[in-house]
Amino acid sequence: MAMATKAAARTEAGGAMSRRKLLGWLSGVSLFGSAVLSAFSNFVFIKPRATYGQPQRFSIGKPEEFPSGARIAMEQKRVCVVREGNKVAAISTTCTHLGCIVGLSDTGFACPCHGSRFDTDGTVTGGPAPKPLPWFKVSLAPNGELEIDKDTQVEPGSYFTV
Amino acid sequence: MSDTTTHKAGAKPPGLLTNLLELPANVWNSVFRNRLPEDDLGRSSTSFTNFFLHIHPVKVHQNTLRPLYTLGLGLMSFFLFFVLVVTGVLLMFYYVPSTTQAYDRMLDLRGSVAFGTFLRNMHRWSAHGMVAMVFLHMCRVFLTGSYKKPREFNWVIGVVLLLVTLGLSFTGYLLPWDQLAFWAITVGTSIAGYAPLVGQQMKFLLLGDTTVGQEALLRFYVLHVAVLPVVATLLIAIHFWRIRKDGGLSRPDDAAPITAAAPAALSVRAVPLAKDKVFGLQGFVRSTTAKFGNVPDRTVFTWPNLLIAELFVFVLILAVILVLALAFNAPLEQPVNVMHPPNPAKAPWYFLGLQEMVSYSAFWGGIGVPTVFVLLLLAAPYLDRKPGGVGVWFARERFLANTLFVTIVVLNIVFMIIGTFFRGPNWEFVSPWR
Repeated sequence: MAMATKAAARTEAGGAMSRRKLLGWLSGVSLFGSAVLSAFSNFVFIKPRATYGQPQRFSIGKPEEFPSGARIAMEQKRVCVVREGNKVAAISTTCTHLGCIVGLSDTGFACPCHGSRFDTDGTVTGGPAPKPLPWFKVSLAPNGELEIDKDTQVEPGSYFTV
Repeated sequence: MSDTTTHKAGAKPPGLLTNLLELPANVWNSVFRNRLPEDDLGRSSTSFTNFFLHIHPVKVHQNTLRPLYTLGLGLMSFFLFFVLVVTGVLLMFYYVPSTTQAYDRMLDLRGSVAFGTFLRNMHRWSAHGMVAMVFLHMCRVFLTGSYKKPREFNWVIGVVLLLVTLGLSFTGYLLPWDQLAFWAITVGTSIAGYAPLVGQQMKFLLLGDTTVGQEALLRFYVLHVAVLPVVATLLIAIHFWRIRKDGGLSRPDDAAPITAAAPAALSVRAVPLAKDKVFGLQGFVRSTTAKFGNVPDRTVFTWPNLLIAELFVFVLILAVILVLALAFNAPLEQPVNVMHPPNPAKAPWYFLGLQEMVSYSAFWGGIGVPTVFVLLLLAAPYLDRKPGGVGVWFARERFLANTLFVTIVVLNIVFMIIGTFFRGPNWEFVSPWR
């Protein structure tokens, strides 16, 4: 029934009218679409492809520089390098609460800003932090140096074996 | 009205000497189309022939001028914005948005720039003042029910203006590049990072990097001196324009009708402005009454009544800011040290309510509750469409809406006070009197 009414209305409007309507719609949609695309392109523009600050991927030196049992916090890189035997891992030192730098403590990590505490694996043991400290991918670069990639997170507890 | 002698066609034009003698008067008259008004027609003309004054209507309702009704809060916000633009532009002459120079420039303002400290103080205290005044202005509008039809959309613009004001203040907070600035922005943008799905992306777009650094400083600077001021100016213009199109400031219904009985026969005084000219009605303002001639009502002329009131508010605001700027220096802490966050690291005061809530629940405190609050504010005039209770403080019929609003506002202020004064190292509870 509804279909029939619609069809009747269409016939009544006449071919020329519906062509005009269709073209109007098409113009409107393409204008609006262009506006949306232009607006979106602004976001593409302001999202940096390369950052000028700390690189997210960097080498930290030869594996020998990190003796077994070492826990070395590299404050500038905001990462803590842990070595146990021949296993190496990199744990973030950026607090998952509000982005302060956590320091090493006897029991693991402690945030000076709002008192979040983490154990040696980065698991939250107290304070307002909502998530454990992430672990980053460690690999051996061709030049024999260890490389940390902060863009790639790995499961806590997954070490890289040298 | 016409104050120059008309010269008949064919008559000798005035000589050079006459022109020179009349020059000052003619220049003056060409700039200002009216003499200082002496009658009602003059008062009208003064309002609508001057670019700056024509923003006002020729006449305003008496209710608009009641200091205890508006408390002048909207005007105060606007004048603070004006002071901020002037002092901000002046400060731009000496500021460089670079991590290696910004802090030194702050020291230069203090040490070697004439009035440097004073201008920075004015800018700082006006900024805090504007956040407070815009917030209080919103409270006034809500508690007098002024967001109701036909003012719904102007309320929405007002809420957006509140957010823009917060954005302006927040982006300005980073620019001194001292410890206070750096850690407040680190903490503040981390709160934004808690938003689901888009949070981290948004934070990255805002900072231009994964942490606060040179890119963030440049981005905040551009937002602070170009993008947000332009947005704010545009929105303020629309906000003001709509006040007039919505029939002036809100007022109770019984303040609208004519008070005195209309005379049996209205005496209409028509003053011929020019012969051989037909005048048309150029525009309409929505109203429940149509008026001809001098019908008694409760409106008064903008010149001088409203203008004097506005001048008073402006002088008051300027005086308060000058005194504050003379008495208290804007804070400047140690230069940024990325290695040593202060304990506790606090966001700017207007976000400390959020930070306090974040310490209970990261998502709900930082994103969930504020989002719901802003959405409620935006939707308020569309959810509450009962017409009554407009134009009076704490109207009886608005008891529920007002109570809800006051509860939310008071809760927010309580969290802000706890975050500001009662949180010490490790975000543990401390007593400020200790």
